[in-house]
Amino acid sequence: MTRLLRLKTAGNTPEVSGLIVLLVLSAGVILIATEIAAGIGAVVVGVIMAIALIAYAAVVVKGNPETRRAVAPYGLMKPGILWLSIFFLAPLWALLVMSLSSKESRFDFFPSFSWEWENYSEAFTRFRPQFVRSFLYAGIATVLTILVGFPVAYVIAFRGGKYRMVLLGLVVIPFFTSYLIRTLAWTTLMNDNGPVMSVLETLRLVQVFEWLHIVDNGRLLSTPAAVIGGLTYNFLPFMILPIYVSLEKIDTRLVDAAMDLYSSGSSAFRKVVLPLAVPGIFAGSLLVFIPASGDFVNAQFLGGPNTTMIGNSIQDQYLKQLNYPIASAMSFVLMVIITIGVLVYTKFMGTEELA
Amino acid sequence: MNAPRNSNNSPRNPRWSRRDFLIRSTLVGAGALSLPAFLAACGDDDGGSSSDTSGGGSKKLTFDNWPAYIDEETVAEFRAATGIDLRYLESYNDNNEYFAKVQPVLSKGNKIDADILAPTYWMAARYVQLGWAQKLPLDAIPNKANLRGDLVGPNWDKNGEYSLPWQTGTAGIAYNISATGREIRSVSELFNPEFKGRVGMLTEMRDTIGLILMGENIDPSSITTFDDAAPAFEKLAKAKADKQIRQFTGNDYMDDLSSGNFAVCVGWSGDILQLAKDNPDVRFVIPEEGGTSWYDSMIWVTGSENADSVAQWMNYVYDPVNAAKIAVGTGYMTPVEGVREVLEAMGGDEAEMANDVLLFPDDETLSRLRVFASLSEEEEAKFDEEFSKITGA
Repeated sequence: MTRLLRLKTAGNTPEVSGLIVLLVLSAGVILIATEIAAGIGAVVVGVIMAIALIAYAAVVVKGNPETRRAVAPYGLMKPGILWLSIFFLAPLWALLVMSLSSKESRFDFFPSFSWEWENYSEAFTRFRPQFVRSFLYAGIATVLTILVGFPVAYVIAFRGGKYRMVLLGLVVIPFFTSYLIRTLAWTTLMNDNGPVMSVLETLRLVQVFEWLHIVDNGRLLSTPAAVIGGLTYNFLPFMILPIYVSLEKIDTRLVDAAMDLYSSGSSAFRKVVLPLAVPGIFAGSLLVFIPASGDFVNAQFLGGPNTTMIGNSIQDQYLKQLNYPIASAMSFVLMVIITIGVLVYTKFMGTEELA
Repeated sequence: MNAPRNSNNSPRNPRWSRRDFLIRSTLVGAGALSLPAFLAACGDDDGGSSSDTSGGGSKKLTFDNWPAYIDEETVAEFRAATGIDLRYLESYNDNNEYFAKVQPVLSKGNKIDADILAPTYWMAARYVQLGWAQKLPLDAIPNKANLRGDLVGPNWDKNGEYSLPWQTGTAGIAYNISATGREIRSVSELFNPEFKGRVGMLTEMRDTIGLILMGENIDPSSITTFDDAAPAFEKLAKAKADKQIRQFTGNDYMDDLSSGNFAVCVGWSGDILQLAKDNPDVRFVIPEEGGTSWYDSMIWVTGSENADSVAQWMNYVYDPVNAAKIAVGTGYMTPVEGVREVLEAMGGDEAEMANDVLLFPDDETLSRLRVFASLSEEEEAKFDEEFSKITGA
């Protein structure tokens, strides 16, 4: 963007026209992909896009080296921007339009656009418990993955020695199995008469776990703890790997230096290792929190009717109630909340990479 | 020599089986976009099918039915007997899912690939009300006379002109006696605090609500508005809030029931008959208060031109001898009268099946079964919405 501003102030026309061609092409792609321009309209848009492309090609072929250099970056950006236009911006636009549409009747397959803001208020009010639950569960799961993942990554990075790669492989290997199968496996393990419960019973720990609210009325499954546990387990590698990467880069001599300066082991960890690991923790918590808050598999299989998350509701509205407008509004709200959350988080964590 | 029926895929309503789940989550996204065009293209390519009805050599018929919902021989025998090129597909996995799949095509007035569909009765009502079912060529189906009278001509299709039954079954209470410690006989056991957190309910609204209504002494076949059924919804919502209900499930209730996670749950007769073979602790009962019965219909979907083949197929399966084969193969209740006599005449295992009350309910049992009333579009939407609020989704 700074470059663009510089160009404008310099009044450099080739670069501006390069940008215009780029914008025309992506706008054309969005218009056609969302069927805003259909039939003859699509042809017109197509022709305009073709003209813009030909003009661009003409500039590249005929222009002097100076001009070519000026427009080249926009040519290089084209594949990426057009890709985004087709697979991100156009669907996003369609989702937004759908979320503001209304259905004339229940089985109306093509809801019509009508500025139906009530979809949003309904998404907020009716599904508030599910939203709250999703963010609560995902938040707790994120904290748990940090608590479990950091020591694991630390041991692999600093104590792994020649077995580092093997240990990392061991972290990843369970995830060669399908996500669904792994989650279903937990239901077998945590059955009321399953191995986990019988161990707890033998050790007479059921009361303790009841008190901790992990076991509810003699069952592990169908509790919030089971859903959070499932999320933690399923997203753990997404925490371990980024933390490992940031720890692995740390020069261990920095710790030695801190020790030389009479730092205790724990303050060396707090003041040297931890700050350097923050980018990893930050990246890991985004990788865990975002998919976890939209997850519905864990709540479906490990939870009960009182632990459903927003993903379950969206899925239900889309595929069972066939209420696409509400489901779209819910998806949009979810995206917006996550985006705002991530921006705030970025601000607090203060890492510059993603800001 | 009974029932090579895969109970995991047994033909029923919107069950949330694991396989469905995978298929849905991947297909729906992509499929929703590409399917309409694909189906439309498929539908158009046999434009010359009008000549088929003239009785020429290669007649065609496509039947989209639920998985494992027929015996192994009938399809081949029908082909041999009639010369009709029957494509028997098992692509009907879930009422709502299938509806979502064909809706974009049928609502535009285009053709889908199938001639006959097998929606459950309430979904069949929706197809009929939306005008997506054609009037059946009843004159060419004389065996229609063999059908059980109560399954023909529901109130949404008074003269039985648009739909005829395929197979039928019962929803009642299933329990694991090793978990309950005693026999279960009443709907009220679903709400017994003794089983707190170990009760399962079906995501199929009509079976779950229908059974609770029976427990409340309200006839589910006579309700018309949501208010009529409100007591059942209240009772269910309270049970959910009290953590009485462990989970609302689709077909996966069979695993939970077998392992003892569910002590008591709402279940389907055929499933439990199958399950009981492996695990004798699992039992099924039509409760004292009564149970609900459901049936899957056959409808002739709009756009199909193979009237003659449709009639021949329906006539064929309503012949008691052919229907007996299907009944033995699927383990479900047949809608055809006279099948029992055919089975008795066969002797052996088949004769034993003829005495199973769940396959051939006696009058006393039938009198305790109710079919959930068909609801108007707005009421159905209300029921579904309220139900999904309770199931927590």
